[in-house]
Amino acid sequence: MRAQEVLAALKEALGDGFRDGEIRTRTVGVKSPQTIEEVWGRIDRGVLLPAVRALKDLGPLHISIISGADVGEEIELLYHFAVGFGTEGGEVMVTLKLTIPKSDPVVPSLCEVLPGAETTEREKIEFLGVRFEGIPDSRHLFLPEDMEVHPWRKDEPELAGLVKRKVKWEERDG
Amino acid sequence: MGELAKAFEIPIGPVHPALKEPIRFTFRVEGERIVGVDIKPGFAHRGIEFMGLHRNLVQVLYLAERICGICSISHPVALVQAVENAAGIEVPPRAQYIRVIVAELERIHSHLLWAGVAAHELGFDTLLHLTWKVRERVLDILEELTGNRVNYAIPIYGGVRRDITPEQYPRVQEMIRYYRGLFEELCDRFLNDASVEARTRDVGVLEPDEAEALCAVGPTARASGLRKDVRQDWPYLVYGDLGIKAITPEDYGTEPRGDVYDRIVVRLLEVAQSIDIIERCLEEMPEGEITFIPKIPALLAQLKKAEGEGIGRHEAPRGEVIHYVRLEAGKEEPVVWKVKAPTYSNLMSWYPMFEDQEIADIPIVAASIDPCMCCMDRVHLVRGGREELVWKEELLKLSREKTRKMALGNG
Amino acid sequence: MSVLNALWQAILVLFGGTFLALVYKGIDRKLAAQMQGRIGPPIRQPFLDVGKLLVKETVVPRTAVRWAFNLMPFLALIAAGTVLLYLPIGPFRPVLSGYGDVIVVLYLLAVPAVAMALGGFASGSPFGVVGAQRELVMLMSYEFPLAVVVVALAWRVAGLGVGPAFSLATLAANPLWAQVGPLGVLGLVLLFLVLLVVTPAELSKIPFDIPEAETEIAGGLMVEYSGVNLALFYLADALKTVAMAALVVALFIPYGIAAPLGISGVGGQILDLAFFLVKVFCVMFAAVTTVRVAFARLKVDQIARGFWIPLTAVAAAGLLLLVLDKAVVG
Repeated sequence: MRAQEVLAALKEALGDGFRDGEIRTRTVGVKSPQTIEEVWGRIDRGVLLPAVRALKDLGPLHISIISGADVGEEIELLYHFAVGFGTEGGEVMVTLKLTIPKSDPVVPSLCEVLPGAETTEREKIEFLGVRFEGIPDSRHLFLPEDMEVHPWRKDEPELAGLVKRKVKWEERDG
Repeated sequence: MGELAKAFEIPIGPVHPALKEPIRFTFRVEGERIVGVDIKPGFAHRGIEFMGLHRNLVQVLYLAERICGICSISHPVALVQAVENAAGIEVPPRAQYIRVIVAELERIHSHLLWAGVAAHELGFDTLLHLTWKVRERVLDILEELTGNRVNYAIPIYGGVRRDITPEQYPRVQEMIRYYRGLFEELCDRFLNDASVEARTRDVGVLEPDEAEALCAVGPTARASGLRKDVRQDWPYLVYGDLGIKAITPEDYGTEPRGDVYDRIVVRLLEVAQSIDIIERCLEEMPEGEITFIPKIPALLAQLKKAEGEGIGRHEAPRGEVIHYVRLEAGKEEPVVWKVKAPTYSNLMSWYPMFEDQEIADIPIVAASIDPCMCCMDRVHLVRGGREELVWKEELLKLSREKTRKMALGNG
Repeated sequence: MSVLNALWQAILVLFGGTFLALVYKGIDRKLAAQMQGRIGPPIRQPFLDVGKLLVKETVVPRTAVRWAFNLMPFLALIAAGTVLLYLPIGPFRPVLSGYGDVIVVLYLLAVPAVAMALGGFASGSPFGVVGAQRELVMLMSYEFPLAVVVVALAWRVAGLGVGPAFSLATLAANPLWAQVGPLGVLGLVLLFLVLLVVTPAELSKIPFDIPEAETEIAGGLMVEYSGVNLALFYLADALKTVAMAALVVALFIPYGIAAPLGISGVGGQILDLAFFLVKVFCVMFAAVTTVRVAFARLKVDQIARGFWIPLTAVAAAGLLLLVLDKAVVG
């Protein structure tokens, strides 16, 4: 599968909901260099599910991980998909970015389309305080159930008290 | 009988002889049959990603190495690729080969380790001891090549930190011959043993469509017949040149059933595959530089200027590892660092596997995805922090002495 | 035989038996380790283990039924020790000969298993309960083939008309191998094999160690036991191993070497006793040590099915062959 096909499919399915679509290429290998293409793009949360469905129509779909970052007033989520997972040399990494306001951190859950996304979504719940609509199990995964702090949020007031950055030997070595 | 016939709960873990690392399963059982399971990971959280966001990239590399003691090459390989992609750093060809060699050595050691653990879970300690005895050889070679039995500290941004010297070639080749000679016997011991087969055939089945929907990776997915292998699907380093094919039980000549037995088959065949890869790499490896920027301060300065984001992936012994890194110019530390270990993806596969199994199957089914909790857990906040780590200097001194001895050829 | 005489004999057998049982356990562990490519513990390790356990704190879980929990280890040890008193030790008749027969021995052998199961139930731990259920399933599985073997032998001995057929002394004094024809020998071989398969199951050793199954239920029955209680179970297990091996010897290989060599008197008795100990060791080595290094642990349903159908069928075939042989030989 070519990255262009993926990009075209996304554009067709999402229309204006898909922005900044680009293909990043680089060359790997020594003896017989190959070109690796990655698709990057930005979407609105409203078209997340249609986007995933469009990707799923292209071939076996795998969600590697959802990365997340606190960017001031908003939370940015990066969905890393592998389209065509399991096709020899034909896998395209697709990264879809979407931003959601901290005041309303809700995104639709992928579990209905891709049940394997549950683990990573649950992790985002506890670490970024994102809510996933339609997730079958929204309990904390890694952190204790009673932990209210979302460690990846940069504006958490309690965070500093929970973390001690330097241990003693580091100071001595430094 | 009314009371007895009802399901009752058995907790397995976080501390249990069958689990080598902490995780908690709560099984609802009726007699010996499992009717439900709840899984709670998170007991080995160390907050590594969080720590990484407050350290410079070379320190992050150290952290990545320590995400897991067994995948201690997989995480750095994925991380350096992510950073190299983000910062646009080229890796010299020889360094790429060395990374592949060490990564494949790690795969051999990890799969043999797993095979021993699996045998132990089945109550077959003889096989455990034999497998681990055999495994010592690859650990010796890893120590020889990298200086350590675990935490190899080989990849650095833009290259590797140690070259493989010409004197080391014959020793690696000798190891290759050793494992080739043993391979038949190893397969025979595991795959033709009646009691192993009785305990693993049709146990913990993961259907191919379930494996796909639940995003299973690595040998877990391949045992279900899905030809998924990052090395094959998404070439990186020199894996594209080597023409690697994902291994499924079909390569052993059997229909994939997705049970524990098939997972043994896949892992054993991958040991043979890794041996072939190492041999080819040794033959094909060109001479030349092993780093892009040898001096670490210069490297850090270069990375500080870099701006961008990148993905690095690697097929660890247990499956896909992916690291996402975002760098900002003027910042030493990554702005975003996300790590995904294979067990993270395979966690969901446990649910269908445990369905309708017996209590006796719990250990081997749990072990069959080769879970690595410390890989998966990573992120945790250390309450209060540790005050004393007085032994660090002592350990460092000892390890330096050992390295010096090895360098002098007395090791 | 005076009561006093019987008493000191019993004490001698029990203490000697316990000592030997621990020595054998040490040898068993050492040999198993060697076969697995390990160095293994020193032979005196079981003594050290017992000594250590005896000085450790005995913890009784809060959820346990206290009296049952504490009683069961004693019951297991007493039963295992009593079995020894019913078994012929080399050239010597059983201490309690005349006060019970092989059926009593079968019951006594089952008592430690039942005691362990009850102890498991009484411990109030889910692991203990699962282990206890498994122990009972095991008990029901292996008792039937075992009973078939014993009944077959006794029935054939009864046919010889040499005394009370179910008495172990009679069984040991009249080895059947020489009394039956070729069909009977084949039948006896089958029965002997069945007994060798039953032995590790009776002793809960791999591949039949499911009631304890360390990697599955974390020690199962034994999980809550500690200190003196655990030491008693440990001793009971060691004694039962020797008793079971001695039973196999008494039923199938009760021969001495003193008589064929023409040595009599005290020297002959000592020689026979030594030979008996060697035989017991051989049985233990064949049925316990080698078996437990050569197999993976089976599942409870696999064991139950295997014992109920194929093994019982083999035992029944052995019985049938003995019957046919009787019809032929007369």
